[in-house]
Amino acid sequence: MEIKIIAFGSIAELTGKEITVQASDVDSLKVTLQELFPELADRKYAVAVNMKVVQENLELKQNDTVALMPPYSGG
Amino acid sequence: MENYNARYARHYSLKNFGQEGQQKLAAAKVLVIGAGGLGCPVLQYLIASGIGGVGIVDNDIVSLSNLQRQVLYTTDDIGKFKVEVAAEKLKRLNPETKITIYNTAISSKNALEIIVNFDIVVDCTDNFASRYLINDACVLLDKPLVFGAVYQYEGQVAVFNVKDKNGVQANYRHLFPNPPQSDEVQNCNEGGVLGVLPGIIGVMQATEVIKLLTKIGEVLLNKLLTYNLLNNEIFILEIIGGSAAYNLIPKTEIAFKAMDYDWLCGISVTETGALSPADFVRKSTISDTIVIDVREKYELPKADFRCINIPLSELSIKMDAINEKNILLFCQSGKRSLKAAAILTEKFGTTKTIRHLKDGIMALQDKYNEQDN
Repeated sequence: MEIKIIAFGSIAELTGKEITVQASDVDSLKVTLQELFPELADRKYAVAVNMKVVQENLELKQNDTVALMPPYSGG
Repeated sequence: MENYNARYARHYSLKNFGQEGQQKLAAAKVLVIGAGGLGCPVLQYLIASGIGGVGIVDNDIVSLSNLQRQVLYTTDDIGKFKVEVAAEKLKRLNPETKITIYNTAISSKNALEIIVNFDIVVDCTDNFASRYLINDACVLLDKPLVFGAVYQYEGQVAVFNVKDKNGVQANYRHLFPNPPQSDEVQNCNEGGVLGVLPGIIGVMQATEVIKLLTKIGEVLLNKLLTYNLLNNEIFILEIIGGSAAYNLIPKTEIAFKAMDYDWLCGISVTETGALSPADFVRKSTISDTIVIDVREKYELPKADFRCINIPLSELSIKMDAINEKNILLFCQSGKRSLKAAAILTEKFGTTKTIRHLKDGIMALQDKYNEQDN
């Protein structure tokens, strides 16, 4: 499946703000992203599929949008 | 008009707000933790709006580099305690609000005693240790938490720990279960921040507080709003609740006070989980124990005892399948198993006993060789 990725904050500095990757589910997407951007392995970020944060693996559909959201700490 | 106060005339005449809304503000007590970039606008607008009582927690002093964004302070205030300067200026803004200052850093020792006195907590801090601590304290005391944070040109706002109409009540750990390590993140000092950004995000936090108190509009319950000032883009992510996040939060006041949040956000595993070869072998025979080789599949020497292989690179994806209560980890030299222990500790918290073989399988072999001799 072709999945649109939108990245935020420090994650976007690694991956670019918007990219497209092939993946069938959230776990395989994370693996693919880590292969493309090895530094992601050490980062914490939330994953949201079509704007909903997911905590477990989820099947992805063609043209799903996945957001990679790191925590911000500044104040 | 009875109880008419010209100060709030524009609130009285506001549709769906009126004197009733004003009374709700006057009856409320709000705690603002952090009197910096976010805290300044939050404090100014909340106190201007006529909140009955406001607490301010901060132990920092005003410095020159603060003034680009911390708009309560002036050049003359450099070197003074923020809480004292803030309280003095805010009293002049609205003497009707009772201001309580806490000239201290929030910690697991003082958080519960301070927070319990307030109806809503506003997180305006600038570090993860405080943010996780405040989240956990609010969960423990069941207090609504209005969260705000900034990063360079982007900001986040959320309202946690309040049930939505479906009964869902998410907190920060539903979004980010565990803190990033200190070397993973930059704060405002390193990463920089455009001065107006905490102004925008802080005003959004104050807005959510007022909406929560007066029950107007739709509050950002179980939602994370992200704002990018460069392109004015706003994303709102929906946060799903669930029980898993609660396993990471201390369940009692005693457990909370014993929690070291600085440590949680710094080094995630101490040497306490490290086992000598003899202890490792002994622990491996205990029931409900799984031994995991975190090396890559091709690495030698192969283990000659019962274990499974999950390379460190695949651990975060495969760790959900671990059912055993006791986990023993090993690798070649003890470095990767230590890292694996950190990953698993973050995932399982104290629900599992996680240990690793110090100095790796090499040390174990040396021990056997010694015995042979």
